Amino acid sequence: MSATGTASLKVAVDIGGTFVDAIAYSPQTGEIKVHKVPTTPEAPEKGVMASVLGVVDDLSQVESLAHGTTLGLNAILQRNGADVGIITTKGFADILEIARAAIGFDHMYDFQYAKPAPLVPRRHRLGVPERLDYRGNELEPLDQAALIEAGHYLVDTCGLKSLAVCFLHSYANPAHERAAARLLRAEFPGVEVSISSELTREYREYERTSTVALDAYIRPILNNYLAALEGELALAGFTKPLHIMRSGGGAMTAELAKQAPMTTVLSGPAGGVVGATFLARELDLPAVLSFDVGGTSVDACVIVNGQPSEVHEAEIDGLPLLVPIFDIRTIGAGGGSIAWMDGDIMKVGPRSAGAIPGPVAYGKGGTEPTVTDAAFALGYLDPAGFLDGRMAVDAAAARAAIASQVGAHLGFGETEAARAVLDILVARTVGALREITIERGLDPREFTLLAFGGAGPLIGPLVARELGLAATLVPRAPAAFSAFGMLMSDLEYEFAATALRPLTDDDLATLEPVFAELQEQAAAILEAQHVAPGQRRFTRTLDLRYQGQEHTLSVEIEPGASAQAAFGKFEDLHRTRHGHAMDSPGQILSVRLHAVGLQPKPGLPKLPGPPAAGPVPAQTRPAYDMATQDWTGFAIVNRDDLLPGHRLAGPAIIEEGTSTTVIYSDQSLAVDGYGHLLITPKDPT
Amino acid sequence: MTRLDGATVEVVRNYLGSSAEQMRRTLVRSAFNPVIYDVLDFGISIYDSDQRLMAEAAGITHFLGANDRALVEGSAYVGIDNMKPGDVYILNYPYWSGAHAYDAMLFAPVYAQGRARPAAYLAVRAHWMDLGAKDPGYVLDSTELHQEGLIFPGTKIVAGGEIVRDITELIRFNSRLPDLTLGDFHAQLAALRVGERNLHQMWDKFGIDVVEAAVSQVIEHGERVARAAVAALPDGEWTAIDYLDDDNITDDLIEMRCKVTIAGDQMVADFTGSAAAVPGPVNLPIGATEGIVKSSFKAFTTPNEAANHGHFIPLTVIAEPGSIFHAQYPTSTFTQWSAIVAVELIHKALAQGLSTMPASSGGDEPGFMAVGFDPRVGRDYVVSNNEGIGWGATPTHDGGNAQQHCSQTTVRNTPIEVLEHKAPLLHRRVELITDSAGAGRHRGGVGVLREVTYTHPGEVLSMKKKTKTRPWALDGGLEPEPSEMVLWPGTPQAKRVGMYRAWMEQGASFINRTAGGGGHGNPLDRDPAAVVEDVLDGYVSPAAARDVYGVEVGTDGSWQPTPARSLRSREP
Repeated sequence: MSATGTASLKVAVDIGGTFVDAIAYSPQTGEIKVHKVPTTPEAPEKGVMASVLGVVDDLSQVESLAHGTTLGLNAILQRNGADVGIITTKGFADILEIARAAIGFDHMYDFQYAKPAPLVPRRHRLGVPERLDYRGNELEPLDQAALIEAGHYLVDTCGLKSLAVCFLHSYANPAHERAAARLLRAEFPGVEVSISSELTREYREYERTSTVALDAYIRPILNNYLAALEGELALAGFTKPLHIMRSGGGAMTAELAKQAPMTTVLSGPAGGVVGATFLARELDLPAVLSFDVGGTSVDACVIVNGQPSEVHEAEIDGLPLLVPIFDIRTIGAGGGSIAWMDGDIMKVGPRSAGAIPGPVAYGKGGTEPTVTDAAFALGYLDPAGFLDGRMAVDAAAARAAIASQVGAHLGFGETEAARAVLDILVARTVGALREITIERGLDPREFTLLAFGGAGPLIGPLVARELGLAATLVPRAPAAFSAFGMLMSDLEYEFAATALRPLTDDDLATLEPVFAELQEQAAAILEAQHVAPGQRRFTRTLDLRYQGQEHTLSVEIEPGASAQAAFGKFEDLHRTRHGHAMDSPGQILSVRLHAVGLQPKPGLPKLPGPPAAGPVPAQTRPAYDMATQDWTGFAIVNRDDLLPGHRLAGPAIIEEGTSTTVIYSDQSLAVDGYGHLLITPKDPT
Repeated sequence: MTRLDGATVEVVRNYLGSSAEQMRRTLVRSAFNPVIYDVLDFGISIYDSDQRLMAEAAGITHFLGANDRALVEGSAYVGIDNMKPGDVYILNYPYWSGAHAYDAMLFAPVYAQGRARPAAYLAVRAHWMDLGAKDPGYVLDSTELHQEGLIFPGTKIVAGGEIVRDITELIRFNSRLPDLTLGDFHAQLAALRVGERNLHQMWDKFGIDVVEAAVSQVIEHGERVARAAVAALPDGEWTAIDYLDDDNITDDLIEMRCKVTIAGDQMVADFTGSAAAVPGPVNLPIGATEGIVKSSFKAFTTPNEAANHGHFIPLTVIAEPGSIFHAQYPTSTFTQWSAIVAVELIHKALAQGLSTMPASSGGDEPGFMAVGFDPRVGRDYVVSNNEGIGWGATPTHDGGNAQQHCSQTTVRNTPIEVLEHKAPLLHRRVELITDSAGAGRHRGGVGVLREVTYTHPGEVLSMKKKTKTRPWALDGGLEPEPSEMVLWPGTPQAKRVGMYRAWMEQGASFINRTAGGGGHGNPLDRDPAAVVEDVLDGYVSPAAARDVYGVEVGTDGSWQPTPARSLRSREP
């Protein structure tokens, strides 16, 4: 396959635990190229370079390169980050270990629960005298001598190279933390120092301590990796700045990422949501469910009026971090999920066959039937043409496993049993999609399902039928859609500060300097990333609640907005989300400033239509139709043959390299001007 | 009734579980008081037409199934034939609701087309901030029900979809915190509406007959799994005795006794022989007693499955009417810390027969509340904190440090920074306590020390009921010190208390100290490398390492056995 040589390509590369996916996109022609290589854990930059060079010959022709990495995430999950020392307010060195003391719903009845060791052992956590009150007023100055002494103990005696600092109430006044950073950096030049107030200005000491500890934990690994990758890219002729994906969408330059590694840590699933948001805006879709189905899980996110749902706190392996991320709901059920019998009730997942041993059909040692095996048994996947024939598939073994391991116990033949596997997968998924829409006061039926990931186009139309959705949209190259999303990222930056006070005009006025300071800070950061003033956008948000409530709702405000205007927006949102408004005054919990540096980003190009709207070339293959609950002939179509303007009535199967779209006899499909597949219920006739 | 295939049953079960989860999310996100959204002091249940539990959303661990009896009693009071579509009833009469008077349960019948009687019931119980009991915050010394707040026996609060204003006004005028209380009422109502909508969608999709058949099979399956789990345990009969500090009226210890019998696939928990009901408010209604036994039972039968009626069929709970485990009108029931202590009483009995059981996990939930007027904002405040304790050691590992008590594993503590925002308090230190764990071959987890100063006058409520007797150990392990609060530490007035309410002047301090977990096995048998690690991390002092574990630890981390350890190692 020859790589594209056209000038001004946009390239994105997404590194996961198993594979690296690269995508090159020509904004002029709409041409897309994708390339997948195995991850190279010992030197991740090698795999990244291999995948990039699979989609582009000459890196000097690349206009932008966006990169999403799970390196930081994996370091945390595998507990192989740096040894960290923590410095806290004296008397509070155990905050990281005491945590919130909860065990969590997964283990709520387990009275033998074995608590995991803390990320930083007690011997590496020290307190130094200093204290602020809840408003940030100094009660006790920072004891500089004690700080340096603590630093020497951690660095010299314990041999640590990465330090984290978190003081009580530093969100209200970062002066002591900043002084500590200055002193420690001067005293220990080779040592990395992270302070909590540079990462977040929100209250809750355990969550802040955990955030800064995780930052210190991954900082050396991520910095070494980014330096190595930048070196390789420069050698290959790449001259533009490398952009790294943020957890909450958008990107930042690699230079900035090195200063705040924590913000990159959940960037993996973010790409798909960014891509879905881009399409929602381009296609003017008011309500979209981003629906990413991989081998082990479904990741779903609600996007309303072009705005993806966000939360301000994430959790990795039980450790909280105060960074904005997309509010993604993960369901432990995907293509590799195993079907099994729990007595006389059938279950699907959460266990997955993974890549090894994999589904029975792949013949790599898998013996338990999976969702993928059910798809073979129902005729949706073509054993002969799987992965363009590059992989041998044993569909008979898949059918036999389903029949013997679940069908026999249900009194079902292999068809009914395979259908039941998908029914249960769909029931689990549909429940979760209802939860994430209904908890926002929204009706799931008004949504367009945007189905991507390897198995998204296979499962999506089925889920849409079940939820009664108006439409399912399958983008181009659905298996590489996360990387596509990264192509469409702007430079973004967000900062929040706890600013607890009543919602009144006077109090809003006192926030004006806070917003101004945040905006100045954000402008400087965009400036450093070469964003021209005309390309900068700033959005102000208040996190509001009724006095006495804990949870907040975020409302955007214009500079100079009145308290009444903000409260009105909040009350409307509260009615939508909770079904009622209250007779209580409003309260501000925190302020957020979101800064965007717009990147050159052409709209989606229209693709040429079919010659004379001629018929779609198709063969026929028997498969199981969910609508009539019977086997019938499905039209088998190659995705490359589907051009804008084409229409197709179900049942049909659309095949392309690594993914397959299935529509049933009560659904039809149209190809829009951009090459997307739009699947809708057939008009009842 | 038709027999469904196991796949359809699983599909319906998922819909029901998701419905309860949607109700939970609605409640948590719109509740007004932190006891609901942070402490998760609620219970959400969906019942079938026979009032059997179909699905539940988790709140506090030991509240499992606690709505079950409440629904039966409440609807018997109303009369099922008197109910109408769109009605919602409120119940907080403790002897029926199985909870104290501040836990208001709303329940609603749901009607299906073509059926005269309810086809399902929904229940949402949540802790309200104030219903006009004798003291603000929490009641520690009531001696009868009528000091514990306004009582509703199953009163219609929504009639045919319309809120009955007379009742909500009654609440408004009887509550010290009417906005919070009615806000939480609205949140519960919103949760009920979500549940009702889901039931109708499900009946429309599958047909009510299919749903009912599926539910019956889910319950049968639950019963079968639970019976098999009990059958796998050794048969036997074990009695445990433990003590509650007192009833806050006298200083006398209160004896709690539980005999657990496992015979084949059935288990009986019999509290006969426990103390008679006491004047102070630590008596439990039978519904609460059933709830704690259910959560313990679930832990070793079906810990990973969403609860349904079938899971509890093999379980019988016996408690004599008039005893502290089966309170009768007008006995006081406000401060049910006895339920928390009793969870471990059941463990203590089972530990005699099951070798996998851990030692005592600190005894109870040792938190505190602070109430008063905050001159910084000109308003009253009520804040609370549930503190972690050390968990009991098991035969295979050390107990966890600083975890919530096993009766409320999902609850979180309140951040220091939130407490100092909401109340005029200043924390001096919050630390793990060296040598607080019960020593053993496996040691207990360590407890937490918290020292707090009042920057303006107010009250402190020490919340704990196991401070006079130690948490128990197993198999030669040692018992840790119990939890305590010390008021005015370091002054001549210093006073050690358990459950207690005290006025704090400006500048006054308290220290709250939580227990470690019980040890398991002889400490002289502990791996010396583990002792060295504990000394390096300060969980164990060098002195205790030497005197209790028989390991002399050098400053460089080297170690030598003491004569006691050497002697022990030569024992056969």
